[in-house]
Amino acid sequence: MFYRTAGQFKTSYTADQALFPVRQDAVLLIVILAFAWIVFPLTASEFAFQTLLIPILIYSLAALGLNILTGYAGQLSLGTGAFMGVGAYACYKMVTLMPWMNPIVAILLSGVFSAGIGVVFGIPSLRIKGFYLAIATLAAQFFLVWLFEKWAWLYNYNASGAIQVPNLDMFGVYVSGPQATSFTQYYVVLAIVSLLTWICINLTRGRPGRTWKATRDMDIAAELIGIDLMRSKLTAFAVSSYIVGVAGALFVFMWRGAAEPNLFDIPLSFRILFIAIIGGLGSVLGNYLGAILIVGLPVVLGILPEALGLEITSATVEHLNVMIVGGLIIFFLIIEPHGLAQLWRLIREKLIIWPFPH
Amino acid sequence: MLSEIFVEPFVDMVSAPDFLMQVLWEGLVSGILYALIALGFVLIYRSSRIFNFAQGIMVVFAALTLVGLHEAGVPAWISVVLTLGVMFALAFTVERVVLRPLVGQPDIILFMATIGITLFLIGFGEIIFGGENKVMITEQLGIPTDSVVFEPFGGLLILEQKDITAAAIAALLVVGLLLFLNKTRMGRAIRALGDDHQAAMSVGISLQTIWVLVWFIAGIIALVTGIAWGARAGVSFALEVIAYKALPVLMLGGLESISGAIVGGLMIGMLEKLFEIYWGQPLLGGNTETWFAFMLALVVLLFRPQGLFGERIIERV
Amino acid sequence: MKMTAKLLAAAVVAAVAGSAASAESIYAPNLSYRTGPFAATGIPLMNGQKDYINMLNARDGGIGGVTVDFDECETGYSTEKGVECYEKTKGKAIVTQPWSTGITLQVLPKTNVDEIPILAPGYGFSPMADGKVFQWAFNTPASYWDAASMILQYIDGKDGLEGKKIAFLHLDHPFGKEPLPFLEKKAAEQGFELVPIPVGLKEMQNQSAQWLQIRRERPDYVVMWGWGAMNAGAITEAVKTKFPMENFIGVWWSGHDADLAIVGEDGKGYKSISWSFPQLDAPVMADIKKHVVDAGNSESNEEEMQGVFYGRGVVISMILAEGIKAAQDHFGTGAIDAAQLRWGLENLDVTEERLAELGMTGMVPPFKTSCSDHTGHSGGWMLEWDGAKFVKVSDLLTPESEAIGALEVEKAKEYADANAPWPMNEDCN
Repeated sequence: MFYRTAGQFKTSYTADQALFPVRQDAVLLIVILAFAWIVFPLTASEFAFQTLLIPILIYSLAALGLNILTGYAGQLSLGTGAFMGVGAYACYKMVTLMPWMNPIVAILLSGVFSAGIGVVFGIPSLRIKGFYLAIATLAAQFFLVWLFEKWAWLYNYNASGAIQVPNLDMFGVYVSGPQATSFTQYYVVLAIVSLLTWICINLTRGRPGRTWKATRDMDIAAELIGIDLMRSKLTAFAVSSYIVGVAGALFVFMWRGAAEPNLFDIPLSFRILFIAIIGGLGSVLGNYLGAILIVGLPVVLGILPEALGLEITSATVEHLNVMIVGGLIIFFLIIEPHGLAQLWRLIREKLIIWPFPH
Repeated sequence: MLSEIFVEPFVDMVSAPDFLMQVLWEGLVSGILYALIALGFVLIYRSSRIFNFAQGIMVVFAALTLVGLHEAGVPAWISVVLTLGVMFALAFTVERVVLRPLVGQPDIILFMATIGITLFLIGFGEIIFGGENKVMITEQLGIPTDSVVFEPFGGLLILEQKDITAAAIAALLVVGLLLFLNKTRMGRAIRALGDDHQAAMSVGISLQTIWVLVWFIAGIIALVTGIAWGARAGVSFALEVIAYKALPVLMLGGLESISGAIVGGLMIGMLEKLFEIYWGQPLLGGNTETWFAFMLALVVLLFRPQGLFGERIIERV
Repeated sequence: MKMTAKLLAAAVVAAVAGSAASAESIYAPNLSYRTGPFAATGIPLMNGQKDYINMLNARDGGIGGVTVDFDECETGYSTEKGVECYEKTKGKAIVTQPWSTGITLQVLPKTNVDEIPILAPGYGFSPMADGKVFQWAFNTPASYWDAASMILQYIDGKDGLEGKKIAFLHLDHPFGKEPLPFLEKKAAEQGFELVPIPVGLKEMQNQSAQWLQIRRERPDYVVMWGWGAMNAGAITEAVKTKFPMENFIGVWWSGHDADLAIVGEDGKGYKSISWSFPQLDAPVMADIKKHVVDAGNSESNEEEMQGVFYGRGVVISMILAEGIKAAQDHFGTGAIDAAQLRWGLENLDVTEERLAELGMTGMVPPFKTSCSDHTGHSGGWMLEWDGAKFVKVSDLLTPESEAIGALEVEKAKEYADANAPWPMNEDCN
């Protein structure tokens, strides 16, 4: 009834290959964008900004980066956290060495450093595959976290080893540091995430995306038909690490406000991996859905006991959260290995015919 | 600078040979413990091509159950038996709930499922056992806790008896496993299943039974590892992180080889300690044990993608 | 589906945010940890804190007639979770107790803007003593630089510092690194060699590499800045490698009875500097037993209550309570707010008489805070493990105020410059 495609005829190939061939999808997207850009910022509380809106966007971006590498190009990577760290530290060094630089430019540039390191650690993927590659990415993860701790120049020789985000302003409005409001930070994050998502959608629907998918599905066959595997894998690492690096810079500058080296340790890598898996490997929408679930779950679990009047310590809530995420992963893998994005696709398919059975 | 990297460490080693022996011994002991964890991985991978990420948490869970039961008043050896029972129940549940529905799925999905099991067990374990460190019941199990002191070259070499016991038990386990897999019927069935599921099932080997058995044996290995590690370092969830070290061991030794897991483990244990003491602490500020094993394995894999002992990977299009 | 989830979440959040705080109680949350590798050292302290406040609520009906709501938010010593807990509680709270130097450092700039005082007794950032720069942060009654100074004085008093080699075994985390600037300065001034040996968070229970290094370096003393599982790990390794225990001195967070009980007699001689000491016969302990333990309201047990950490928890809650009382007396109101508590903490004067009134004689040295001195520099005692418990083996040691004070002011200014614009307390001089 809602998703009736009857009457929507395409008269050109371009129209047929459009991003939203069904008009209702486009309308849904406009509504969501309207909510994201207008409704939520004006109505959300400080708590909602800090615990829901901003982190969901940042985690979605990081998962998007990982998805490009693991979902589209098939290279399993467990080092996402460390690459986020590279982006964050690069951004920090840039703003402290060059305080005149526009913070948004600094954030976008920090991804470049992350991309460079990503390519270096991606070189083994030319020889190593599958689980072995996953363990090789762990080498990057552990080495980089060690480096963050030991290389004192990175955190400006600060005694505690942690980096604090300075108060940076753009055109008179504070965008980072304790003086910045969540409102401004939300818009900065939203703008950057939207831009990068738009770029990724174009990449994955275009030639690079097809090359990556070919590499993922059967790399020897891909090589046989003329795809340069080295180029394909390394560009996947580069693009993925760029996005993950920017996500890392946003993570520290627009949300946390400070960072320690062990913030970027394995648990962060796994969290992004879960978002990518539960959301759906190989999709862009899935990252958002996965992020909403993984970020929203602890918040709901935190509020639920009070709302229901149960006395549960916050420690137990924490453990329950971990258990439920673990259970959810298994659950999703059993019922729908392709994640929430696939579930959404199925729902849409059903909605197109609803209320008729076929 | 060059002499600092290539000459001084060796001079250091030779000038205090008793210290070098102590370092090698410490490395050897760590190596044996890494190898034990890797054994569990290898066993499960060999029979089902599943990369069981949950092996680490199984070690912790086994150790915690043992200590928890003992704290509740159960005598030591009965606790061991009961813990084995718990590990069996765990193996059974995992097979039923997680593995059976996922038969035939690509490897990465099964890998993710084991990560899910890990998380679940972490949360569950923390709720039941609490997160503080516990002391392993070493004396109650009859493991000697003294140390043996040697004085080679006029210096000092201290070997803890519990480490020696751990080494002995590990050796027995490895020999036992090798014999089991190669000489018994069950062992052959496990190997057959690992080679080709369909073929094995068509000659009458039951997938479910073998999988439960294999996970149970992995559980036994996990318990032994938990006791050995716990005696050394205390029992807590921090042990699970030590399990990450088993991964470079697997990379070096190959995912399918038991002897590879042992050799890989010993190599990684000793090389890691040597690097840390003679190069890491003087030149790099220490703490290199977090990443050295991984880098080493990475370099080896670049030259031999299947690890030192793994089967050659043959891909068909 | 995505939209509905977002709307539902927003609705739930709005419902909760709408509920108002009760006006008849003071909300003083504790960012505690009862799980994870630091729980073993955290739990006794947090139990002590909770029991003291519950005792005040039960015996006196609260402080100044107003009950204190002492909620706990679990952080697991993770800086990330700590900051989340801070954000969650800052709405109603009159104080924040981060219980981790890492969390304190990250919350420090935020509290300056959100205007909530940090109470970090014996931890945090040593320059927080400078109340002009850090008007919203308190590390009463002693800071890490005080500890370092007192330990060095003790060693100097015993056999002199010149020409000695001191290994600094520390947790590779802001807490462990905090005293380094002060220690390095003293090493240069007093002619001893400092060998910093970090222990990573993942290696706390497997310190064989660090103790092999100590064996190789053969230091005269090992000074430890450990916490959580690192303490037990270090002490067992020290016993294993036969390091002489009398040369092993830990900071106040490394002097935990349960850690030493693991090695018992073998740990004899191990020392720890401390600004608190358990007095098992103190009237306050009897009151806690009567009003809290016997009423079944305590999570602690008999053994834990006899230890150093439980007593310290009681002292810490006392500092908070005294701050609340001082604010109530000065502003003439019961349910004080964060800014008033800040004044209270800045104007503490805990003398021997006051300690006797509270029934806590001998549990903490007297101390006094002021606008320019947020620490109080109470000094401490050197405790030694005698095989079964900790005993005092020194008179009151006091830190060298001039040297420390100058360094505090210098580092505080550096911090303020790095975080400009930084609102300072101009009324302070």
